[in-house]
Amino acid sequence: MTQSAAAKPLGIHVPKLTFSLDQGPQFGPRVGRLCLTRWSDSLSRYAIDIPTPNFLVGTSRGAVPHLSRDHVLSANAISWINVPFESFLEHTPPVPTYQTGPQPLHNFLGFDSSKHIVSLSLRDPLDAGEMPPNGNAHVSASCMRGVRKVTIADWRSYVLTMQPDVAFALSDTPFTAAPHSQKRITKSIERSAAWLADLLRPFRNTTDDTFSESNHTHPLNVFVHMAGGASTSARKSFSHHITEILHGAEADAVKPFRCLDEGVAGYAFDLATLRMKPVPFSTGDDRGRSIEIAENSTILQELESLAEIPTPNTTHTPTSFSSSMNEPLPSISLAPTLDELLRASLNPLPIAKPRLITDVRSPHEILRLIRDIGIDVFDAGWVVKAADIGVALDFIFPVPSTHDVGPDHCNRDIGHNLYDSKYASDFTGLTDAFLAGPGHDKTPSSVSPICSCIACSPVIPSYPIRHSKADVKSHQAHSDDGVGREPFLPAFTRAYLHHLLHTHEMSAHTFLVAHNLAVLDALLTGVRTIISAHVDHNEATAVFAQEVTRFEEAYDEAMSVLHSARDNWEDVKRARGKGRLARESGKTEGK
Amino acid sequence: MQFEVIAKCRTTRARVCRMELAHGITMLPTFMPVATQAAIKGLTPQQVESLGITLILNNTYHLNLRPGIKVLDEAGGAHKFQGWNRNILTDSGGFQLVSLSKFANITEEGALFASPFNGQPTMLTPEESLSIQHSIGADIIMQLDDVVSSLTVGPRVSEAMHRSVRWLDRCIEQHEKSGRKDRQNLFAIVQGGLDPTLRDQCLDAMIARKDRVAGYAIGGLSGGEEKGNIKQCADRLPSDRPRYSMGVGFAEDLLVCVALGVDMADCVFPTRTARFGVALTFKGPLNLKLGKHTTSMEPIDKDCPCPTCASGMSRAMLHHVVTIETAGAHAVTIHNLVFQAQVMGGARDAILEGRFPEYLRAFFRDYFGDAGYPEWCVNALRSVDVDLMEGVNVPLIRGSGAKWEYSDAA
Repeated sequence: MTQSAAAKPLGIHVPKLTFSLDQGPQFGPRVGRLCLTRWSDSLSRYAIDIPTPNFLVGTSRGAVPHLSRDHVLSANAISWINVPFESFLEHTPPVPTYQTGPQPLHNFLGFDSSKHIVSLSLRDPLDAGEMPPNGNAHVSASCMRGVRKVTIADWRSYVLTMQPDVAFALSDTPFTAAPHSQKRITKSIERSAAWLADLLRPFRNTTDDTFSESNHTHPLNVFVHMAGGASTSARKSFSHHITEILHGAEADAVKPFRCLDEGVAGYAFDLATLRMKPVPFSTGDDRGRSIEIAENSTILQELESLAEIPTPNTTHTPTSFSSSMNEPLPSISLAPTLDELLRASLNPLPIAKPRLITDVRSPHEILRLIRDIGIDVFDAGWVVKAADIGVALDFIFPVPSTHDVGPDHCNRDIGHNLYDSKYASDFTGLTDAFLAGPGHDKTPSSVSPICSCIACSPVIPSYPIRHSKADVKSHQAHSDDGVGREPFLPAFTRAYLHHLLHTHEMSAHTFLVAHNLAVLDALLTGVRTIISAHVDHNEATAVFAQEVTRFEEAYDEAMSVLHSARDNWEDVKRARGKGRLARESGKTEGK
Repeated sequence: MQFEVIAKCRTTRARVCRMELAHGITMLPTFMPVATQAAIKGLTPQQVESLGITLILNNTYHLNLRPGIKVLDEAGGAHKFQGWNRNILTDSGGFQLVSLSKFANITEEGALFASPFNGQPTMLTPEESLSIQHSIGADIIMQLDDVVSSLTVGPRVSEAMHRSVRWLDRCIEQHEKSGRKDRQNLFAIVQGGLDPTLRDQCLDAMIARKDRVAGYAIGGLSGGEEKGNIKQCADRLPSDRPRYSMGVGFAEDLLVCVALGVDMADCVFPTRTARFGVALTFKGPLNLKLGKHTTSMEPIDKDCPCPTCASGMSRAMLHHVVTIETAGAHAVTIHNLVFQAQVMGGARDAILEGRFPEYLRAFFRDYFGDAGYPEWCVNALRSVDVDLMEGVNVPLIRGSGAKWEYSDAA
């Protein structure tokens, strides 16, 4: 299982990821800059700059969900793409390893090496379904053909062959039912550290076997999942483990790093495993989606998810950690909060390394993690899931002064469930918070910026493919008809998206993914603007906290719009097939 | 409509035409992708336009059901509703009516069918069909015809043909008094089944109405065996009107129709087969689901200008995502649409440059190779003085001869 089809690449130019941070406290809102410098074969270099806080988008089987390559390339919101490698384990050796040439991962998947940071993890961070246990030297991964054992040697080989810009070290997260014994947690810490060390061993850059600085390079920028589960002491222990100075053989192995942390480019926290009680093992596309509500668990459990949320107006239960960031859940008074877990991991560690969190569930959660901890990168899985179920997100940060906010006003939804029959004749654009393309008489401002996604600001294609010499006439004449033509077209309407969703058209989700990513991008742009507007850090923190409160008051945190959309999506899915119009018209009112 | 024949093949009946409609110029011959429910499945209108497509088809039956006329009227028509600013053709709704309804009873008044919403008997008359098409606002609209399967025999065929002529008159009336003749162009549909006599009668009647129709569709024929009937129609129909062969999508079929004098065709085939994982190429179709493509780092076609191939998307990557990820469906759909357009664009260039017979021969040689040519293609092309078999030593295949990539063993 350790061969890869391509010859081991020599002369690898390792792109270098650096992170610079504006000064600030260890825990609190912060802006920074991730910079990936890439050397091309001709030894010229170019850099990708990602201001933080920012987000990454995950792929499904190597593709950004619902977006064809041209749409990925045109989406300005997308800068960092994470690729879970496990789907490729269906074939031995994994098919991407056949890709030759520079930046094989980018090229196999069609990403732009001048624009996109591409990271490689073994597992999908959003998949917390139960898995067979890992071993001392292997991780259980999931692909369409079942579970595959991936050894640390395999992983190292895949990373070196695919040359991602960022690689996630293997980590030993138990995907079996909680609670876990002290022994299991200890093993998790030790294995994760050992596997990190393995990835940090330098690799030979030339065919010369002897070790020297010049012919050995350290692996690509490595991110580590912070082990320790839901135990603050375990987390503290792991962080100490990776910062303690190594000696002897351990030190030799990762020379010239003196401790593991010196080779770490960033810290990752996967909330998925913390939230859910894992369910019985299953393959297929239920993985990661079906959960049971935890009972009597001694660790902090997520009580709701997008998949199983009861309809709104039922008894209020905390969603994610949103309302319980600073206090434990009432029934489990000894369990740590997420806040405490993150701080336990981060306390012993250098401040100026990027912090990444996956499986955030709402803009509220994102804002609070920025405010209280100082998280730099979030994943966009939840906005893609919202697009999957027909919700166009619509929120803006900071909340404009024109928005009515406060105890007397009801919350806005964070988006629009376009399945709702009220949108059947609604010819406005997808968002109220933003303006669609410049085909309007309002000028964009910081209060009402433009959403530049393909749904809100479609652009006339400038160079359609010409299939014959005669085609010149058809294209030219169309644009020479005397009408002064703006490059932007009218925004796609809620009525059209409503129609696409009810007719089960795939393009609905194309529009919604592109749009939702743009809205998330705008949120984080707004965050960066607010934080960096104040030179004095205390002032920045205070103002930011104020804006977060305004946001919480303005937008419904229970995200009931997502719950009803999920119901509607299920209805359309169930109604499909012969006779569906009769089934659907029986259900919808006012048709 | 402004319609002009700008070149003719000296050997076959093929021609290149320029057709200018309310939403721009479409060069003929062309293939029309089908945007059944106001969308080419999986793609945005901007994507479709960027592929060089200028004319798509919308289905009246489907749009009438969802979103419905009220919404379309409020939106200002189907162009605005779906964000497509180039040309649209709508069919009459008659075909889906018959094929998709629980029951359909054709009377002189119109077609009585079961509403798919509540099962109630509903009537679609020629006037109603036109009225719906007026709301949709397509640049080309079709008469409601009494369509029978080409396998039907007996008096029903004749009845349907004559009724189609009467319904054409009703459609013409409805269209002329709508005041939309300047923006929307009505096509007649020639019927008559496989019976040349009936076809001739239908042609007589419909050609007599030439000044009140903008173009002619050849209806009730969408299989390989009926090319004799297509030729009969194409030979007699006025050359200053576009000819539209409904439901033709296989590349070899399109080219044979072009050689017979047809200017446009539509079909769901290329887009549907794309979603099922089959990419169309000049060397035949590729079934990307097969194991033989698992590790191929080649694109579908390195000379193809489509965004999928131009980005170098490998067959291996496509194999990994087709039929599983929507992005896989989009990638192959984009490719297949460009393939169809390239076949027709190549034909236009070949006709313009006086080398269309060579284009035909090269296409068949590359596409079918040693597998052999479908007999019906050879026969149809011989009727317009192109002998595919000349100097070529390949078998003749009976039946449809459609080329397919079935399994790894093949």
